Amino acid sequence: MKWKKWPFFLVGALLALGVVGSVLVLQRPDTNLVEVVRDGEVLYQFDLARAEDQVVEVEYEGRINTIEIRDHQIHMREADCPDQTCVHMGWLDSAAPIVCLPNHLVIRFVQDDGELDGVAG
Amino acid sequence: MKTGKLTRLALLTTVALIIFVVELQIPNPFPIPGVKLGLANVVTVYAVYHYHAREVFLVVLARILLGSFFGGNMLALLYSLAGGMLCLAGMLLLRRVLSEKYIWICSVLGAVFHNLGQTIVACLIAGWGMLLYFPFLLVSGCLAGAFTGGCAQLVTKRMKNTPAA
Repeated sequence: MKWKKWPFFLVGALLALGVVGSVLVLQRPDTNLVEVVRDGEVLYQFDLARAEDQVVEVEYEGRINTIEIRDHQIHMREADCPDQTCVHMGWLDSAAPIVCLPNHLVIRFVQDDGELDGVAG
Repeated sequence: MKTGKLTRLALLTTVALIIFVVELQIPNPFPIPGVKLGLANVVTVYAVYHYHAREVFLVVLARILLGSFFGGNMLALLYSLAGGMLCLAGMLLLRRVLSEKYIWICSVLGAVFHNLGQTIVACLIAGWGMLLYFPFLLVSGCLAGAFTGGCAQLVTKRMKNTPAA
């Protein structure tokens, strides 16, 4: 290897890429439409600006996820899974979705134009 | 396989497994799926630079399988397996271009490979939206990888002074 410094620049570039990407992802999307998705199938859709406070239970192979909407915000209140990551993620307020990987459940913002962006399985 | 080699590999696996189980007890302050320190990677990085590819593969595979038994989280097995194997493959390739002096860089890039594997599995399970988590994993992977790599560097230094290592 002629240019000996390349590994440092590679690491620096990856870190910078990660930081920039994280900042971009953390922006709240310009929409109030939220959907609950499992395996590419949209289970629920809420308009957070208008949705009333409510609690929704979703079952997957006997395990239950409890989704709560309060004060026009949505979060996972309880989850029947070992890691509880989705519960700790708190209220949905960025482009990064709330996910419960064990139960294949995703809560995310969708664009308002009626089109569901990238419903991929 | 010689008995001596077998014993050393078994010891490596045991150490990795203990580190893994201890790390499970440390609460994770980051509520992002897939973000963790990955201390057991210290052993993997060390092994990559001191053992044959086949031997490191056995150590890592045994650690991942037994680790998910001990951790009681079989759901995470798929992620660990995809991440661990991609990380190992990446580091074994990097071993050819990076000397042991740069072991921490190898560890950083290995961690990024691990995150890549996890993200791919997550995308297969929960859809392409999971790609949005990759930037977070990239940052955490770089930091955690640098830390574990630094530890591996320390280990290497100490091991040089030990006979019969």
